[in-house]
Amino acid sequence: MNVQIKEIFEKVKSENRKVLLEHEAKEILRLLDLPLPPSKLVKTEEEAIKAFNEFNGPVAMKVMSPKVLHKTDEQAVKIGIATVEEVKETFNDYMNRFAEKEVVGILVEKMIAKGVELIIGSQIDKTFGPVILVGPGGIFVEALKDVVFRMCPCSLEQALSAIDEIKTQKLLNGFRGLAPVNREQLAEIMSKLSSLAWEYREYIGEMDINPLIANSDGVFPVDARIILK
Amino acid sequence: MIRMSNRITNFFNAKSFCVIGASTNLLKPGGVVAENFAKDFPGKLFLVNPRGGTHIFAGKEYTLYKSVLDIEEEIDTAIIIVPAKFAPQALEECGKKNIKNVIVTTGGFAEIGEEGVAIQNRMNEIMKTYNINVIGPNCLGLYSPALGYDTIFLPTSKLKRPKPGNVSIFTQSGAFGAAFIDQLARLGSGNWIARFISYGNASDINEADCIEYLGEDEDTKMILVYLEDFKNGRKFMRTLREVSLKKPVLGIKANRTEAGAKAGASHTAALSSNDAIVDDLLQEAGFQRVITWDELEDCVISFATQPLPKGNKVAIVTDGGGAGVMASDMVSDCKLQLAKFSPEIQKKMDEIFPVFYSTTNPVDITGSASAKDYEKALEAVYEDPGVDAVVNICIPSIPNLDINEYIEITRKIASRKEKTFVTALIGGEEADYAYDVLLKEDFAVFKSPGSAIRAVGRLVEYANYLKKRGKNL
Repeated sequence: MNVQIKEIFEKVKSENRKVLLEHEAKEILRLLDLPLPPSKLVKTEEEAIKAFNEFNGPVAMKVMSPKVLHKTDEQAVKIGIATVEEVKETFNDYMNRFAEKEVVGILVEKMIAKGVELIIGSQIDKTFGPVILVGPGGIFVEALKDVVFRMCPCSLEQALSAIDEIKTQKLLNGFRGLAPVNREQLAEIMSKLSSLAWEYREYIGEMDINPLIANSDGVFPVDARIILK
Repeated sequence: MIRMSNRITNFFNAKSFCVIGASTNLLKPGGVVAENFAKDFPGKLFLVNPRGGTHIFAGKEYTLYKSVLDIEEEIDTAIIIVPAKFAPQALEECGKKNIKNVIVTTGGFAEIGEEGVAIQNRMNEIMKTYNINVIGPNCLGLYSPALGYDTIFLPTSKLKRPKPGNVSIFTQSGAFGAAFIDQLARLGSGNWIARFISYGNASDINEADCIEYLGEDEDTKMILVYLEDFKNGRKFMRTLREVSLKKPVLGIKANRTEAGAKAGASHTAALSSNDAIVDDLLQEAGFQRVITWDELEDCVISFATQPLPKGNKVAIVTDGGGAGVMASDMVSDCKLQLAKFSPEIQKKMDEIFPVFYSTTNPVDITGSASAKDYEKALEAVYEDPGVDAVVNICIPSIPNLDINEYIEITRKIASRKEKTFVTALIGGEEADYAYDVLLKEDFAVFKSPGSAIRAVGRLVEYANYLKKRGKNL
């Protein structure tokens, strides 16, 4: 077990929280060497502007707070922020609206170029223990139900075969001008996450990495949700 | 690394066997099993019946011991066939007698609810105290004709037994097992069964032990499974993944829906697990999942008799255009492809057949065909290196076809076993006649083009799985 990962889980537990904040979940993914988009947790307007300038391109800004768990519903996510003005505006808007919400910080994250949205998720099955799934993701994931399961931990080979069993293969092969999904990289992420779900099965109840965006640069976890048991 | 031998091995390898509850009534379960063992079991047999005395089973006189504890000799394996309420005492006596392998066929345990659960819990305690390996309760136990081992308590006059072969079965449901054993006894030659394991409520030995045992058993060349739930799902899947590289494993995992889960609970105390997960994990582990009962016999006849196809290219020979078209549709449904014949084979067929025969795939030798035409066409496509499987479809009602000659030709080519070769006979009396004759000799023969091609599809699916896992075919 990785000491730093364990510390994150222990901290969340000690605060009587069940859900990791996005930046905490992403810190874990970073410790697994997953290719996360560059991001920074900021607390002041100056820091936000600095991060924006550093990333050199449009960013997303998200409120990190244990009281704001459904960020999209509460309009605590803004994407495609392209100017310093917008950064300031968004920062101050968040600070006003969520003043009473124990905001830990604002996550400024570089936008990932558009691509195919995928999901990798894990849960604990009563028969097979930790299992992991992969498939087309995004907001339609539950409608599509085109996911393939493996037992955790799963090897690279098992992850690759799972990806091959996704029904909507067209989507993975370069659909409507999008780049084909880098299957090797997706499989590597799946395999690593499956090891995470297995090794930390005493902590992790459910995990949703949705979406991962697959574009010509690679496969990037864009949102991450980890729920403790 | 020294491999621990599987616990089921000790059951089948018993040199001495004891029937506890050996009834003198040959229609009662305890009487049937006593008679089965008296007739065929090569080792020593002991019978326990609280009334004592002696009784003749299979022409030999046996002492009926009042208790297993009255027997002086060592006993390797015992079967308990007494009502559930007496079962704990019988098991405890087995423990005291140092019998390490016990089959409990009796029902009335966890599957009937609270009262039964209590008895089963008591059994489990005894099992642990004395370190006994248990198969059951609520099951048929074990059957192996080659070993003279038959704990199936249904009389052989009612439930026929298949003869020795290379198919092994393990089943959670005894009723499924019984019916399928009966089916196999009359399928083809009837030479099918290596080992049969009905493990019922799986209080101890479960599906993971079964797949491991049959995976290692050298008499077993294919494994057929009926499951409703998993007692040790992770171990089962891991073991299955290794075993499926050595021999085909296929069958039914029932309990697919909520309704199914309820039916299971009132049956073998089954609990459903999410079928989407189960389905993916089974597929990944190389399990050929069959959904309907009627496809199982087709699977046995194809997997147990046919070489695996090297690829997915199919050649069809038929005397009926409609059958050929339907077969071609099924080819694509089953992810197969119609082979394109090599120039030499194509040329040969164009030379030997009249112009109104369609010599491209599917080859249609029309209602003018004779048995000889079948021979020429089937041999030609069989020789084509680009053909992985041959589908021989015949509607025998055409005037020039002598059915016995056709049977002889089919027999000859099908016996080569260099390639997958399946036959479909469609029609009435003559079709049935040819079907029966060929099936009796264990040729892969079917009653519709769809079934024949589906069987090829299954074989190709398994062959592809093996290739993907890095096996050379």
